[in-house]
Amino acid sequence: MFDVLTEHFDEFASGFWVTTRLVAASFVIALVLGTVVAALRVAPSRWAQRLGGLYVEVFRNLPLLVLLFISFAGLRRAGVGIGPWTAGIASLGIYTSAYVAEALRSGVSAVSRGQREAALSLGFTPLQTLREVVLPQAFRTVIPPLGSIAIAMIKNSAIVGASLLALPDLLKQARVVNSNTFQTTESFFWAAVGYMLLTLTATVVFRTLESRYAVRR
Amino acid sequence: MGYLFSADNWEWLWTENNARYLLEGFLINLEIAAIAMVLALAFGLALALLSLSALTPVRLAAKGWVDVFRNLPLIFLILYLALSLPESIKQGWQENAPGFLPEALRGQLVLAGILGLVLYNSAVIAEIMRAGILSLDRGQREAATALGLSYRDQMRHVILPQGLRRMVPATVSQLITLNKDTTLVSIIAIQEAVRSGRILTQTAGNPFVGGGDVQAPILQVMIFVGLLFVVVNYALSRVSRRLEVREARRSAVRPGVSVGGGAGDEALRAGAT
Repeated sequence: MFDVLTEHFDEFASGFWVTTRLVAASFVIALVLGTVVAALRVAPSRWAQRLGGLYVEVFRNLPLLVLLFISFAGLRRAGVGIGPWTAGIASLGIYTSAYVAEALRSGVSAVSRGQREAALSLGFTPLQTLREVVLPQAFRTVIPPLGSIAIAMIKNSAIVGASLLALPDLLKQARVVNSNTFQTTESFFWAAVGYMLLTLTATVVFRTLESRYAVRR
Repeated sequence: MGYLFSADNWEWLWTENNARYLLEGFLINLEIAAIAMVLALAFGLALALLSLSALTPVRLAAKGWVDVFRNLPLIFLILYLALSLPESIKQGWQENAPGFLPEALRGQLVLAGILGLVLYNSAVIAEIMRAGILSLDRGQREAATALGLSYRDQMRHVILPQGLRRMVPATVSQLITLNKDTTLVSIIAIQEAVRSGRILTQTAGNPFVGGGDVQAPILQVMIFVGLLFVVVNYALSRVSRRLEVREARRSAVRPGVSVGGGAGDEALRAGAT
């Protein structure tokens, strides 16, 4: 059991590091895009709402694998020189951003109407109201759902390495070790430990954030 | 943009039977999803009940099982099963699979794909159902016990109808995820929509393989496949939303008889909108 890990530690470690970077970068993109889209969905303009709604419906209902094929093989064939890292991070980030946008939107609608009305009557512009009053409160209530989105994203990151992208992530490295040693259960077991480490870390981080920024009512 | 919409790059869609080829692949996705959904709902319910068992060892075992399979990437499970299922089982399936199944579902690795989907989704659904049952007011179960209902009757007539109905939206959204995840079996060479799409891009334009003599660029093929999923999943999510609204209205009309604990909130929410 342990000899597979000790003998192939470098492979597992580099795979773990690739997965970690992939997840971290994609999550940043998902947060930024998700915030923009959520803002569109609660904007006063009907067209902005429709655009945001379309974005969410498309990327929430599209399989990540298809998105990966579109953004890597598809765009390369179209003559766009996109690399595996860019395509992987962009796909995972865009896919996750639809979920983030939905979580933020329900967070925004959880902020009581009175808060918004009070801000507007104090002379805040709609944008200021959103930025200074509504979003800070919404962000707090969405920390638990963001946590489950982050965990789902860590699991989804395995799809990036398993599809055609040349990204040697944790799962890919487990398959490499397996094809060298033929110890399938052992190689996959250590990759599983790696994924569990990542999801556990995310759980702890989001629990801490949750208790620190909990809205006191 | 010119490349994306240029008619030359879409010509494959109405040439030969390429579109039909992709739609047949998509049908395989839907069939895999339907099989996996039924099994995942059944096993999910069983796991949820086991994880609420009064017997501590049973409860801990069920919870441990659910936590392991819920926290592993699905593609990880599928690949592991594809590599580690005994040859005898894979061969056995290939030789003895019922003839009414489409050819794509009679391959060696189909069991690995479906088993992976069921293991993962039953664990997720068990967790959703468990939360639904736990969200019920204690009084419901106590009242049922006081009325002398057996465990079975309590579950069948009191707890499950209420607890599970509450969890319909969460379950449907998991089923949409399952539907998207059926594309992952293309990685173990089961010929569904994504795999058909890739085959099309490799063979179309190649006079020796068939599929027409028109180029099928992978960008356009994958956008078409993606659209199929978006349409079906969007329809599913609309149905789920309608159920949710109807449920809220029903509990608003008869708040007394619908659900104990939390029913008031639902009624208020429905009343307010």
